[in-house]
Amino acid sequence: MSETKKGQLKRGVSLYSYSDLFGYCMTLEDCFQDIYDMGATCVEILASHVENYPNPSTQWVDNWFKLCEKYKIEPAEYGHWFDTRLYEERELNVDEAVENIVRDFKLANLLGFKVLRTKLTTLNENCDPVPGWEKYVEKALPYAEKYDVRMCSEIHRPTAITTKHVQDYLEFIHKTGTKHFGFNVDFGTFQNAFPAYAERNDKGLDYPKPKAASKPADILLVLPYTYCCHAKFNLMDEAFDEVTIPYKEVLHIMVDNDWKGFLVSEYEGRRKDEPDFLYDQLRRQHIMIKRIIGY
Amino acid sequence: MLEDHAIQTRGFHNTVDEKGNVTGFQFRMRTKYYRVLWLSQFRPGDVIVDGVTYPRDEIVWELYGVDYTPAELRKRGDVAWQVTDAAIVKVKKPGGLSQGYHEVNVKYGWICNYIDPERFDPVLGINFYGFDNTRKLLIV
Repeated sequence: MSETKKGQLKRGVSLYSYSDLFGYCMTLEDCFQDIYDMGATCVEILASHVENYPNPSTQWVDNWFKLCEKYKIEPAEYGHWFDTRLYEERELNVDEAVENIVRDFKLANLLGFKVLRTKLTTLNENCDPVPGWEKYVEKALPYAEKYDVRMCSEIHRPTAITTKHVQDYLEFIHKTGTKHFGFNVDFGTFQNAFPAYAERNDKGLDYPKPKAASKPADILLVLPYTYCCHAKFNLMDEAFDEVTIPYKEVLHIMVDNDWKGFLVSEYEGRRKDEPDFLYDQLRRQHIMIKRIIGY
Repeated sequence: MLEDHAIQTRGFHNTVDEKGNVTGFQFRMRTKYYRVLWLSQFRPGDVIVDGVTYPRDEIVWELYGVDYTPAELRKRGDVAWQVTDAAIVKVKKPGGLSQGYHEVNVKYGWICNYIDPERFDPVLGINFYGFDNTRKLLIV
């Protein structure tokens, strides 16, 4: 394998990793301290982490920027949902759904985020979007431009990068020429080992099985339109290797191709609700990433 | 800060009306889900205490100072239930609960835009289950 060039990939953490602890034994500042402590420089939040969402107080927003400055952390990605299943009896129409997500665009813009993980409504377990998804995205594009945010559809297990709907998204990007719709590649799409402990979460929920994992080189198909990646991980061993996902291969390709986006840790393994275990797992992963990317 | 469990220790009390009659009991519950939910996405189920079922349609959910019946919750696509906040679950039971331990169980779930619609429970009307929903709590 070629030696990786020093790139501009930024190493961070998604607050999703702390979701079992947030509000229980961790505040927003605790999360920032933990990220800073492992030398990471950027953060993904979800709408869930904004106090009084979707209308945070001025005081909360001021504190957000104070935390970013104090811990030298850059806003990487803001995760939200293009919810259309809001009412039992009907799906939201395009205007209603867009009106709702413009709230998220404004909020992301207010908090300094330029990249969004935008979850489109899905049809099935394979994460195929509902028919007509492009009408929703097309209508949202002028607002995304106005608020300077990029909606990124997440390529998430069991979706492989070569799945038809990813191809459809690419065609949409080419057809519209937009720079405001793209991808978040979740590294779980490359998962090629499926030990029992990684297949069910602590709440007893089984993860959907992929038909086929993405191959590391598949990332090249979407890399120019990928603004953030979820560094999904299930278990880091004591040698600082992730045991289910071929990190080395994927990261080398990304860095060798001068990828400049945000890589944020997303822990999906067991014992997520144990601070000691989780904090250790995150640090192991960051050692792995540092060793691979070389900085 | 909240407790780890969905059902919170603080807030489990009998309820008393202005005339001093004990009308029922209430407890506090958080979703334990990682995402902020709109109230209309929440699917409340029955409450079962010490094996006695209190049907979901008779339960009142208080969020941010407002009481909602399950039918009213489903209309509120404009109020967000923050992950760091607990609802007060209000149950009618003249005379209330006795001092001591009670096993409190609450069934709930939610609708999401990315969960397989086929994974659906027609009784509760939910496509994703809540969890960790039974707890022994003390009435003081």
